[in-house]
Amino acid sequence: MSAAVTLWSKHMVKSVHNQMEMTGMLIQPILWVVLFGVGMGSLLGPSMPGGEDIYITFMLPGIIALTASGGAIAGGSTWLNERLQGIVKEYLAAPIPRLSILMGNALSTVSKGLIQSLIILIVGIIVGANITSNPLGWLGGLVLVAGFTLGFAGIALSMASSTDNMGAYHSMIMLLNLPLLFLSNALYPLETMPTWMRIGALINPTTYVVTGLRYMLLENGAEFAKVDTIPLWLCFVAITIFTALGMWLASSAFKKSLK
Amino acid sequence: MSEASKNNLAIEARGLVKRFGQEILAVDGVDLAIEANTIYALLGPNGAGKTTTINMLTTLLEPTEGSAKVAGFDVVMQANDVRKTIGVTFQETTLDKELTGRQALNYHARLYGMSKDQRQAKITELLALVELEDAADRTISTYSGGMKRRLELIRGLMTDPNVLFLDEPTLGLDPQSRARIGDYIVELKVNRGMSVLLTTHYMDEAEQLSDKVAIIDHGKILIEGRPSELVDQMGADVITIAGQGNRDDFIEKVNDLSCCETITTGNGIIQIGVDSGSRRLVEIISLANERGFTVEDISVAKPSLGDVFLKYTGRQFRD
Repeated sequence: MSAAVTLWSKHMVKSVHNQMEMTGMLIQPILWVVLFGVGMGSLLGPSMPGGEDIYITFMLPGIIALTASGGAIAGGSTWLNERLQGIVKEYLAAPIPRLSILMGNALSTVSKGLIQSLIILIVGIIVGANITSNPLGWLGGLVLVAGFTLGFAGIALSMASSTDNMGAYHSMIMLLNLPLLFLSNALYPLETMPTWMRIGALINPTTYVVTGLRYMLLENGAEFAKVDTIPLWLCFVAITIFTALGMWLASSAFKKSLK
Repeated sequence: MSEASKNNLAIEARGLVKRFGQEILAVDGVDLAIEANTIYALLGPNGAGKTTTINMLTTLLEPTEGSAKVAGFDVVMQANDVRKTIGVTFQETTLDKELTGRQALNYHARLYGMSKDQRQAKITELLALVELEDAADRTISTYSGGMKRRLELIRGLMTDPNVLFLDEPTLGLDPQSRARIGDYIVELKVNRGMSVLLTTHYMDEAEQLSDKVAIIDHGKILIEGRPSELVDQMGADVITIAGQGNRDDFIEKVNDLSCCETITTGNGIIQIGVDSGSRRLVEIISLANERGFTVEDISVAKPSLGDVFLKYTGRQFRD
């Protein structure tokens, strides 16, 4: 797996030197929290017990999930780009495990996702969200985010391996970005949804990462999370399954693209 | 070491076939037996199957049928061992343009497990070889086409491969760059004992650089041999005629002449290998007139691999 580390390092070095990418990566989470969080908070807050601060706290995990899936989409785009430019051939001719080629990409996506999550949490605190000071909470939360991002990265990579057209890739994967957020409990509790939507939300990994983050990261997190009657252990299990599924999809699609 | 030292074959292939889906037969039964420390050229037009063959030998694609060994290792069963021992440059540029030349070489070598000291020494040596020292710390996006090709060449050399695969190494370059790269390739064989398999559609490149050449078209190898021997088979000179009229009669009569060594036709062109073009020209033209064949265009030239191609495929070598 040292090959995965070499490729991870290459991706990170390239990103750090890419000013536009760095700017976007750091500013975007800040904008989401401030504009969406504060904006929606002042809209919905007065009607909720606890007010605006409660809503920001409630939906911060949703912003983390959205940013993570966005990062995964970008990671898939990088992969497709490297395939189209022929850079992947260099990797394939090298004496490295085929899986480490994918992992190099996935790991850099996860790293960036974790950095953005930290920014979101810090900015969230600044604008008034009630984030826990328990380090285990942060650790558990970041593990969930890492798993969710990895699973999503796997899906993005599998799509990027199955097409030779950047436009087609983005059409396919965009379906998964915002709609997946709406079909979850990120913005509103499950009980407010009609049955069909609740079913959709319950098979959506976003619901589990968001609920899990509420348990782990929020002051009195359990209060928020229990509303949806999803226990914490189930969140971890669901995310683990999602990670495995994503990686399996990526690996199969990759092998198929080598024929 | 490996079996290659025993039988001295750098590359072996038996009945290599590659089919894509149901319809595309890119490689249709290729056999190779390439000795170590030689430069071997696969010459053929675009679409002949050269790149697909190289992709199978460099483990990027699995053969549909057949087998191959590189440096004694099977390309399917011992793919990782093959990868450790080869260097490759691809037809298209596979450089990461956001990196500097030095970074590209460095990351490449790390993938092959080279230590930091080894890498630094090798990078210095190879940058000097292709005179890229000054550009090494600029991003690759600022390089010219020739510079990129040279960088790719030394990237393939970073790991001291036994066997080097070059897919169209001088494609799209100006004559000066092409000549330079040709020189480096010969030096690799002579000074570093490497075995080189290169594919090309440039006939002069195949003639000048290679110890042996194989002509490939439609996925099959048509003929193989030393360039000089293949060309000698055509005769000392070749008279090429385009014209109209009583072809078959004319051809029959030409074949009867003692000065004629071979005769090939294709695409309305008639090629006659003769012992001396200048002496036989008049004879051939008068024979054409006699036989009711109107000569529209005629030329005399030393034979080339292009003429060999025409002989074996019945077609002109479309560049």
